[in-house]
Amino acid sequence: MKKLIVIAVILFVTQPSFSQDFKADIATAKTAYAGGKLADAHFALEQAMQEIDMIVGQEVLKLLPTKIDTLNSNPKEDHVMANSGFIGATIHRSYGLHGGSEIEIISNSPMLAGLNAFLNMPMLGGMMRDENTKVVKVQGYKSRLEKQGDNENGKPNYSLQIPFTSALLTLTVKGKSESEVLTLANSIPMEQIAKLIQ
Amino acid sequence: MKTAILLIAAIALITLPKHADAQLLKKLKDKVNKAIAPASTTTTDQTNSTDNQVDATGKPTNKGGGGLKNTPPPDVNEQISDAEKSHQAAQYSDARYSLQQALIGIELQLGRQMLKSLPDPVAGLAKDTIQDKVVSAQWGWSNLTIQRVYTDKKEKQLTVTIGNNGLYSGFVTMYFNNAYGMQANADNQNMKQVKVKGNKAIIQYDDSKGYTLIVPIGQASMIVWEAINFADETEVMNAANAFDIDGMKKQMGEQ
Repeated sequence: MKKLIVIAVILFVTQPSFSQDFKADIATAKTAYAGGKLADAHFALEQAMQEIDMIVGQEVLKLLPTKIDTLNSNPKEDHVMANSGFIGATIHRSYGLHGGSEIEIISNSPMLAGLNAFLNMPMLGGMMRDENTKVVKVQGYKSRLEKQGDNENGKPNYSLQIPFTSALLTLTVKGKSESEVLTLANSIPMEQIAKLIQ
Repeated sequence: MKTAILLIAAIALITLPKHADAQLLKKLKDKVNKAIAPASTTTTDQTNSTDNQVDATGKPTNKGGGGLKNTPPPDVNEQISDAEKSHQAAQYSDARYSLQQALIGIELQLGRQMLKSLPDPVAGLAKDTIQDKVVSAQWGWSNLTIQRVYTDKKEKQLTVTIGNNGLYSGFVTMYFNNAYGMQANADNQNMKQVKVKGNKAIIQYDDSKGYTLIVPIGQASMIVWEAINFADETEVMNAANAFDIDGMKKQMGEQ
């Protein structure tokens, strides 16, 4: 319980700090731009964009389930990484003590827009079906479910990839049946996440 | 058998030119019609022309349109204040979009500024402003490319590209980190390290491409000169020396 409070406090404290950074960056950008220092303004705006990505990441984390089946999330491993290069923000949450089950979202990546198109092309091995892969629908999104061997108890491990616009959500669950994985996937508030990320 | 082939050949001979003739005649007729009574034939003209403008699959071919209007680059101040507003309202994806637009605006402005600062003429070649290019691909610095072409309108041409040039960047890093392999090949040396105004550079020669001179500036940017039909290395180096590399670095915010 104490842990939870600490985490809540940390979240509460860090969130405004991103906002403050954003404001500071915007102020820098404005001054630099007014002074004709284009390169400096550019840098400041890039920083501001990274801050936005961080905020969005934190907001998305709030939406992700704190529990997958019996596994609790590991708040210490919650992770948002902003990068205004080719791969956008990465949002990561893991579940269970021994790890393995996790949700990862990569957003705002132009590379992913291509990857998503690729995932939708059966001819290139995307949305196709073989003994380990099948296409499923999760909350209206066509997704790719892949069986990745078995865990130590002989139960199957699954990875579910849900592409949406320029983002990709990957849900990895170990030792659960297919229908359990889909139930879990359906508990992720995709619509709200998509709204934040777009 | 022979007669069949002959028959086919004859049919082909007769029908093909006929088809062509028919088109020619139709065109002539249209032209005459136009010349005699332009107003009265406009409607028939239109139907005729749609006939002509349909490709083999029946899909109409585009004959032209107004194209896209050349809109000015995004207003940076406006976009920044939009971003602030969206941020305040917790509409983060809108804020992100506005920031991206502001970045594009700045990049395009920077590119234009840079183009203005480039020398003219260079090595006796005049700038060809029609080929001036500033491309911003909104994903950070990595895709800002500024291009200027100098040409004598015959066969000599110098293309300068400033920005983060994906085509060469990996290659340059590889070269500076592994100079051993390439410079050792003295028999047929087509690449070597030089200095342009004190900046490390590499120059390369290829019979089909001419000279390529690359100066990496700062952490991520580089200037590339592609010289076609230049007499020798010295001429290329002289052309490159006409550019204010320090000024460019400053504008790009590089050290």
